[in-house]
Amino acid sequence: MNVIEKMSSTEKLVSEFQRVKSSLKGFLSLREKAISEFERVGIPNRKNEEWKYSDASALFKSEFNVEGLKLKVGKHDIDKFLVPNLNASVVVLVNGIYSEELSSLENIPKGVVISSFAQALAEKPEIVATHFSKYADTTNDAFVALNTAFASDGVFISVPDNTIVKNPIHIINIISVGLPLVKGDKEGFLIQPRFLFIIGNNSELKIVESFDASSSQAKNVCNSVAEISIGEKSKVQYYKLQNDCTGVHLISSVNAHQQKESHFDTNTITLNGDWVRNNLNIVPDAEHCETHLNGLFITCGNQHVDNHTLLDHRKPNCESNQLYKGILDEKSIGIFNGKIFVRRDAQKTNAYQSSKNILLSDDATINTKPQLEIYADDVKCSHGSTTGQLNEDAMFYLRSRGLSENSARNLLLFAFAGDVIEEIQIEPLKIYLAELVNQRLKK
Amino acid sequence: MAEKKDILEEVTSSDYKYGFTSDIKMDTAPKGLSEDIVRFISKKKNEPEWMLDFRLKAYRHWLQLEEPHYWAHLQYPKINYQDIIYYAAPKQKKELASLDEVDPELLKTFEKLGISLEEQKRLSGVQSTIAVDAVIDSVSVKTTFKEVLAEKGIIFCSFSEAVQEHPELVKKYMGSVVPYTDNYFSALNSAVFTDGSFCYIPKGVRCPMELSTYFRINTAGTGQFERTLIVADEGAYVSYLEGCTAPQRDENQLHAAVVEIVTHKNAEVKYSTVQNWYPGDKNGKGGIYNFVTKRGICLEENSKISWTQVETGSAITWKYPSVILKGDNSVGEFYSVAVTNNHQQADTGTKMIHLGKNTRSTIVSKGISAGFSNNSYRGLVRVAKGAKNARNFSQCDSLLMGDKCGAHTFPYIEIKDKTAVVEHEATTSKIGEDQIFYCNQRGIDNEKAIGLIVNGYCKEVLNQLPMEFAVEAQKLLAVSLEGSVG
Repeated sequence: MNVIEKMSSTEKLVSEFQRVKSSLKGFLSLREKAISEFERVGIPNRKNEEWKYSDASALFKSEFNVEGLKLKVGKHDIDKFLVPNLNASVVVLVNGIYSEELSSLENIPKGVVISSFAQALAEKPEIVATHFSKYADTTNDAFVALNTAFASDGVFISVPDNTIVKNPIHIINIISVGLPLVKGDKEGFLIQPRFLFIIGNNSELKIVESFDASSSQAKNVCNSVAEISIGEKSKVQYYKLQNDCTGVHLISSVNAHQQKESHFDTNTITLNGDWVRNNLNIVPDAEHCETHLNGLFITCGNQHVDNHTLLDHRKPNCESNQLYKGILDEKSIGIFNGKIFVRRDAQKTNAYQSSKNILLSDDATINTKPQLEIYADDVKCSHGSTTGQLNEDAMFYLRSRGLSENSARNLLLFAFAGDVIEEIQIEPLKIYLAELVNQRLKK
Repeated sequence: MAEKKDILEEVTSSDYKYGFTSDIKMDTAPKGLSEDIVRFISKKKNEPEWMLDFRLKAYRHWLQLEEPHYWAHLQYPKINYQDIIYYAAPKQKKELASLDEVDPELLKTFEKLGISLEEQKRLSGVQSTIAVDAVIDSVSVKTTFKEVLAEKGIIFCSFSEAVQEHPELVKKYMGSVVPYTDNYFSALNSAVFTDGSFCYIPKGVRCPMELSTYFRINTAGTGQFERTLIVADEGAYVSYLEGCTAPQRDENQLHAAVVEIVTHKNAEVKYSTVQNWYPGDKNGKGGIYNFVTKRGICLEENSKISWTQVETGSAITWKYPSVILKGDNSVGEFYSVAVTNNHQQADTGTKMIHLGKNTRSTIVSKGISAGFSNNSYRGLVRVAKGAKNARNFSQCDSLLMGDKCGAHTFPYIEIKDKTAVVEHEATTSKIGEDQIFYCNQRGIDNEKAIGLIVNGYCKEVLNQLPMEFAVEAQKLLAVSLEGSVG
């Protein structure tokens, strides 16, 4: 394990890449291209329009290990992260490394492959080659480039044509440092899991991804990149739950590519986490696609939650819908930056985007930037953004019926958040999340 | 009815009717920018020491800055600042006794533009008169109705005159809203600005007529850098109009202006612009680069600043008229119609900065893009900590004509107070085929139908314009969109 003396600069990471590149499994020219892009773009600071409200360069001031720490986590430690009654296949990553022994796959239909990304790199290079780094743009996104350069482990899922994977697949990310590190208190880990999901035609897949970094104490950064290829008429649901990520700075990028008549639904719920940045880059690249992006963030303390979405409509007759809600308390900062991009050919696009926020404290900040960039004329695109407080009349109504101020407030906030929870299509997960949100609001 | 007929006739006629050049004898500075040029301008204008200091400070600051290219949705080559003439003034005798001594060619120019420099009441049933400050290239050539205004204590004159005669006011307010450090173009302007208008409305005076500045770029290779400063003292009111045109040339000319507005307690300023700089030809050749910093501050309570703009010209527009709502209960408004056609690019919007308590702002922006143009709304609404009960409503609509153009909305909303209520909504659509069909059915052809629908679409904003301007603006909209259909 090599501790880099100063990770504050982009160069350090580049030199680290040169050091470890021989141990990375294949795709060297692709990785080298990615690292040179990373070097060119650099770790973004506030001058970068996409990072205006989130200074990523501040996260990279401490020192990092680029290789994950191999930790022993017991099977019973996993139990507390499971969602009751979900009946999911569980895939566990410990510090970005796929754990065979902790993962348990159930009811996997024939032909479906669920494995570590490392295994896929080694055993299925041709399949990986057709999709790896094809949907996640390394040219403008420094963190995607960085992940692509180092990507060595994560999760690989391949679903053949005409296959419905009934049970959801629950990916649990455990970020854990365990013992105090080798020296100093500056060290942290740069953990970079890579996800590649390939879904054939006429198939269905549901993914639930959750985080646990409660036993992590250092200023670790988790930079995850997911690439999802969705075949014709297929349906993919992707739920991201960021509940216990206080010990890690999270940068996540989900890149989905949709074929004809496919559906992609995603729901990002952020409840606890110091510093979270979620990028969603969705490309409905054929006609009659449908895309739903939903998000909810409830923050307090000094939390910083940044949600970025980009919907790149390239082909005609597609539909997309975005709903993001934020509840911000204490000194927390919330950001929603959504962009609907409609290209010249994408006539008859129907795109809607809505961002609604409630501020509970005078020290909280919400920055929203809902954007439309439109080059086709026969489209229906609109967005709305509101920021306000709880309705006084509604509060009064509840108080007049004997509810305490707190419970009236929680009830109203829960109703506000409920719109996003309602969009979840897996019943046990919906119940679980509703409970989590309820608990969170009581805090 | 006759009025309407005119509009329709104009729709079918020429494209840019202000594209002529006038042959006025000019006094110009050599090309290029250096400290010497800054000193030269200052000397030409016989400025006091403090003014030169201000310019030099700004120039030195500007040298350290980089042309901002990274955030605006605009594409243009780097501007060569050494290829611009920074000072061009019509040759004339030092002091003008009367209008007769003004170069007749110059008078003709303004007549052609429909601006009368003679102090006679306009006919055509329009009751109010307008006081005009006419600026050609670098200098103000004539300010009308000065004496009438002076009776009420209103100061309305060229900026250079204000520097000479009212240095205490200029010193107090210049740079207080837009400091030279604000941005690249405001720094450039602060270093080389040549003229502009200055207006001061004293306590409790309601300006009896509309004040107006008319800007004209004439000389080839020049840039225009003017500076306007409007101060409304306690309880004062003024409505201010700004118009601008430039000749048709193949080269790009730079216009970088600064406008500052200050309102004291209970004062109100209404600022209306019809921007019609030469937009370049059908292939995107030539046209004005318009980089303007406009900002007002509601310094004390219950004051109000309202911006209304109709943007039809310029190859590139980069303009964000803003209001800083510092005084409690102050109000900021922004109404805008931006039309782009052919290869024009516009990145325009507003900033509403809420600092005081119970401040309100309204933003209504209507964008229309046609041809190969790109039209972006970029607006900021910021509610600072402690700005209790701030209220904002923003509405941005975009209309696309044809599938080669782009319409974009980039709102920035930054809220740091829990009592704030901020709403933003935006839509993008095209003119409904059913609407056009309805017009066709009644014998209105496509082009006229579009003119009609667009005017209806912009009504909310056009209603805010003073009457004379509103008529002008409607005509302008029709002309700008000519040839964009079918």
